[in-house]
Amino acid sequence: MNLSKLESILKGRSSQPHQLIEVLHDVQEHYGYIPEEAMREISKTLGVPLIEVYRVASFYKAFKLKPTGKYVITVCNGTACHVRGAQLLLDQATSQLGIKPGEVTDDGMFSIEHVNCLGACALGPIASENGTLGHHMTPAKLRKLINSLNREVKKEVKHA
Amino acid sequence: MLHYVTVNIDGADIKAPKGSSVLEVAIEYGICIPHLCHVPGLSDIGACRLCIVEHVTNGRSQVTTSCTLKVQEGMVIRSNTDRIKRLRHNIAELLVAEAPNSRAIQDIAVRCGVKKVRYPFRNSNCVLCGRCVRACAELWHANALGFVGRGKDRHVERPLNMRQEFCKGCDYCIQLCPMTITPCDGPMKPGEEYLCGKCESQLMITEEVPDSCAWCRLGEGFNCGRYAGVKS
Ligand code: SF4
Ligand code: SF4
Ligand code: FES
Ligand code: FES
Repeated sequence: MNLSKLESILKGRSSQPHQLIEVLHDVQEHYGYIPEEAMREISKTLGVPLIEVYRVASFYKAFKLKPTGKYVITVCNGTACHVRGAQLLLDQATSQLGIKPGEVTDDGMFSIEHVNCLGACALGPIASENGTLGHHMTPAKLRKLINSLNREVKKEVKHA
Repeated sequence: MLHYVTVNIDGADIKAPKGSSVLEVAIEYGICIPHLCHVPGLSDIGACRLCIVEHVTNGRSQVTTSCTLKVQEGMVIRSNTDRIKRLRHNIAELLVAEAPNSRAIQDIAVRCGVKKVRYPFRNSNCVLCGRCVRACAELWHANALGFVGRGKDRHVERPLNMRQEFCKGCDYCIQLCPMTITPCDGPMKPGEEYLCGKCESQLMITEEVPDSCAWCRLGEGFNCGRYAGVKS
């Protein structure tokens, strides 16, 4: 883990417990999850007990305690998307990638999340890839999306 | 200097130190309001809802937890109305369905007049009263355990190896947990839970011998028999 970024995130915020959520947001954004070392550092710098940091990090869905895949497929399961067949999308993603929501594929490339409304109900059902919303999703469209991401992955592996 | 206010609880005018909660004042005065998550000396979080009372203002009454309600001059509180008894009965019933393996909770259920449990038993090991969490943080400043997750996944945990690092081994979390003493006949297996009700026989004594309560340490001076004949 690269600590210099964490240092810059925490800079000027020491002994300010009320900054906890802001700091967690920044850490999440930069590292993609909240590493344990980061929690310890945050606890020390802000003066918040470690259990508090963990409690807050575990409470909000926006914070991940484990690293996510490179590509995060988020399926909306809010009411509007649900009635338009969000479950089919989730089934498609889970069966195609062989993982359950909240898990990461063995190669660390994909993970699946489900959320309760992305705020674009009229365009539902929604499935997003790393924050890019795909509107009016169907299982077929989602399959194509995942396939194309898979091709990207293969290309990267070849180049590496 | 302590400032006092006068509150009226169940018809009694009580002089109470400012800043104390209605529950504390009632107990001190000898009015028993059943409670579970309240521990003297710890902060109150209103987790168990057992201590509900009616707070009467301008002829309207509002149901609220007495442990989190601070006394105010001229406050009128009713702790034993039919409405409260009915609601409290239901809360106790839900609690015992959640955790039948706690003797403390079985006792509370009897005391609140629960005769049968209409909800499926869940037999969980924790009622999220937060006694352990608050004792750890407030008495010992250890912060070795806490609530993790939310909604139905909320639970008490000591993540990240916190036990080795922060726990001071005081054992207060265990002593204060209502789950650590099982009903007299031992732990019930999942699927075989029942409302114990054994202490009901003692409740009869309570009715006959006022001023003796079999249930709580604070019970001298209380006659909890008044919670016995509650209709569900
Ligand atoms: S035994 Fe450890 S975890 Fe329990 S209250 Fe004491 S310090 Fe906290
Ligand atoms: S572990 Fe025990 S004391 Fe702690 S919240 Fe659960 S029931 Fe309460
Ligand atoms: S329900 Fe899916 S975006 Fe609102
Ligand atoms: S004692 Fe007041 S809510 Fe538990």
